[in-house]
Amino acid sequence: MGGLNTTLLTGTQALDAAQAALQAASNNIANANTPGYTREVTQLSENAESLSGGVVTGGGVTVDGVQSVRDELLNLQIQQQTSLKSQADAESTSLQALQPLFSSTGEDIASTLSAFSSSLGQLSANPSSSAVRQSVLDAGKNLANSFHSVASGLESAQSAADQQVTQTVAQINSLASQIANLNAQLTQPGVAQQNGGTIEDQRDQLVQQLSTLTGISITQSSDGEVITTGNGTPLVMGSQSFALQTTTGAGGFQQVLDANGNNITTSIQGGQLGGAIQMRDQTIPGFLNSLNDLAGQFAASVNAAQAAGYDSTGAAGRPFFSIPSTGSAAAGIAVALTSGSQIASSSDGSSGSNGNVANLLAAVNGNMSSGQTPASAYANLVYQVGSAAANASAQSSALTQSITQLTNQQSSASGVNIDEETTNLIRYQTAYEAAARVVSTIQALNTVTLDMGSTQSY
Amino acid sequence: MRMTGGGPQPRSQKAGEHLQLLRSLAAELERAMQAISSNNLLELEESVASQQDLSARLSQLAGELSSFPSAGSVPVTDSIPSGLMREIRASAAELEHLNLRYSYLLQHSSRSVALMASFFNSVKGQLKEVPGDRLKLQTWSCQA
Amino acid sequence: MRVNTNIVPNMVADLDQSQATLNTLLQEVATGKSVNAPSDNPTAAAQMVQNTLDAANVDRYTQNISSALSQVQQAGSVLSSVVTSLTQAVSLGTEGANGTNNNTSLSVLAQQVQSILSSVISQANTSVGGVYLFGGTASGAAPYAADASSPSGYTYNGNNDANSIVVGDSLNVQVNLPGSQVFSNSGNNVVGALSSLVTALQSGNSAQISSAATAVNSTIDFISQAQGFYSNAASQLNSQESYLQQETVTLTTQQNNLVGADMAKVAPELSQAETDNSAALAAAAKVLPATLLNYLAPPG
Repeated sequence: MGGLNTTLLTGTQALDAAQAALQAASNNIANANTPGYTREVTQLSENAESLSGGVVTGGGVTVDGVQSVRDELLNLQIQQQTSLKSQADAESTSLQALQPLFSSTGEDIASTLSAFSSSLGQLSANPSSSAVRQSVLDAGKNLANSFHSVASGLESAQSAADQQVTQTVAQINSLASQIANLNAQLTQPGVAQQNGGTIEDQRDQLVQQLSTLTGISITQSSDGEVITTGNGTPLVMGSQSFALQTTTGAGGFQQVLDANGNNITTSIQGGQLGGAIQMRDQTIPGFLNSLNDLAGQFAASVNAAQAAGYDSTGAAGRPFFSIPSTGSAAAGIAVALTSGSQIASSSDGSSGSNGNVANLLAAVNGNMSSGQTPASAYANLVYQVGSAAANASAQSSALTQSITQLTNQQSSASGVNIDEETTNLIRYQTAYEAAARVVSTIQALNTVTLDMGSTQSY
Repeated sequence: MRMTGGGPQPRSQKAGEHLQLLRSLAAELERAMQAISSNNLLELEESVASQQDLSARLSQLAGELSSFPSAGSVPVTDSIPSGLMREIRASAAELEHLNLRYSYLLQHSSRSVALMASFFNSVKGQLKEVPGDRLKLQTWSCQA
Repeated sequence: MRVNTNIVPNMVADLDQSQATLNTLLQEVATGKSVNAPSDNPTAAAQMVQNTLDAANVDRYTQNISSALSQVQQAGSVLSSVVTSLTQAVSLGTEGANGTNNNTSLSVLAQQVQSILSSVISQANTSVGGVYLFGGTASGAAPYAADASSPSGYTYNGNNDANSIVVGDSLNVQVNLPGSQVFSNSGNNVVGALSSLVTALQSGNSAQISSAATAVNSTIDFISQAQGFYSNAASQLNSQESYLQQETVTLTTQQNNLVGADMAKVAPELSQAETDNSAALAAAAKVLPATLLNYLAPPG
């Protein structure tokens, strides 16, 4: 396959992994020779193979057979990309709902952090004013509340994804059972000849729906159609269906089990279920970890600055913020001081000194223990949240267009001319390589454009 | 944009060209994506050729426009008007969005292409019949 | 049989796109900002975080400079009038030392110098915005209080410390000198010298008066140095203020570039987007089966 540009942007890890599954699963194509299905193929016959210009034609398959297999390949990809698109949509919806938590509303962390810094600047000029000291406490409380809001919003989204897991598993089980019933009907004598086409269509639609719920793999066995999840857990085997189960896991979230009770949660890819699990177990925890790290380190920084100074009674500065010993730092961060007089503005114990305010300001604006400032750590988080949503949305749109492309190929009536197809494919590969370089150029352009005009005065 | 006789192109004029190029390139990306989804290979090839020209010129211009050392060294009469700068940023942001979708579409579509190419290359693959009277099964497999 | 559904996905996709564009533009008009969600432009949203913090800090520094400048300016003018008072006291002392005065006139001279001392004390107790200019970092009581047990008749109740105020990311400026340094410095004690001159005039001893007047005179130079401190502080504050004004412009420009919506541009785009959306819906209505139409949300 080589030569195709590997510098293309990558989406979320799960979507990439699911796409790798496309590669693996398509290695085996089964062509069911049942009446009503292979209308365009009357018979597969062996022909003498001939080699011409490096391209093998003929061989064991007729041209009509090639078309049939090609259509099957297209079908497989449409189905797999439908799963991917459903996953992207699920993630996109969840991620869009998180955006307001990180937008500039005045109550967001950037705004309240800035107000806290500003209040300390005022303290520098007015270290003895009890009104100013109180406003520093208030600004600290607003900042703590901002952390709470974001943590709470993220945890709600996680719960919503968890509920989605339960609902989706129920839907999967229902569809699997219906598909198995249809498969059973197809095996009954006489049914296949009379109503085979209609039942097949019904089944195809149900399978299509199933593929929006989770990534599936379809093969044929001697007992009939076999549908498994991407990693091989059976859902349907001919006229028998296998139900997935859910059970509450150690973290309080629903785990997905196969019919034997094995936990298959981490191996589920694609579809709404894959999307919900990805959001619940990977994406949102990632955001929460960053947020909690920020809250914990920020509090520690400010508290260390407090400890370096003295409050207005001459006592050594005590912690400004408290962080819970267990659980989310961002959900539990609180102002521990009970009075403005406890703010350690003094550097020598004398009440009018502002010598320690510089340390408090440095804690808010300078590096935390991670080496990042609070603002840049938060900015990173904003970027992660924003680009995750942008990526999911772009994936969804791209997959829509890709599915359209595949569907258009399917509906083209002409037969397959292998020589012509192969030539076209080479042209496509060439065009895509060139396009990939354009993509990289445009990516690099963005950084440069942001610098334009920033060094000049208007 | 051709240089007028005399000195180098003023910044604001370059910036105007930059904006036009951003918009043209965005239109080409849309055109290419449309071509891909409608399987119009010729249209795609034309569009990509155009994209290569546009993006090369854009890179060059962007480099020229951003290579200013420090504030105050640009004469005020030759600076980029703030409204134009804003439009450039808006168009650049839109191009970035399109580029993201474009890159994903290229990824997916090129995998399809690779798959088909592998298939056609191995059309002489083995077919074997699985025993059984009701269903005749043939299996085709290939390395992708 | 495979259903050829290639018309429907295109149409639904077009519809989604036109609706999304419409929603974004409506939000822009409502808020005046072209970035609402970080997903609109993640890089810009990330840059805005630092911008917000910097802008708040610059704003605070500017306010601090403003109040510092008024303290500094006030202190400067206090010292100017103190110099005038000291000059006057010297000339009174010189007059008293010339040997031509009788007890009455010496007594009058002593009272005049005493009155000068009172006014210098009240100048030293000047406060601006509730802050005593010459109390060091002590707050609460006025720096100089009358104290009969003190040789000069006054005690300094302030302290010897000075705070530096933050006026820049790494700039703190000292804007006050404690009274103990300016008015009751052990090397050049303005209060003590004036008080000694009063005592000398009351004693009538010409040599004593003369030496006391000289002592007062030498504090004038000292006060001039203190004036130098304040004018130096003022020029530091003024140049920082100019720098901050530039910073404000830079930050505002950056903010506009990152999040500002160009209203003139948005309005025509909005009307076009509404037209596009209506057209897409009308086209869809003709082609799509009724069940799918129920699924599609109405515009607006």
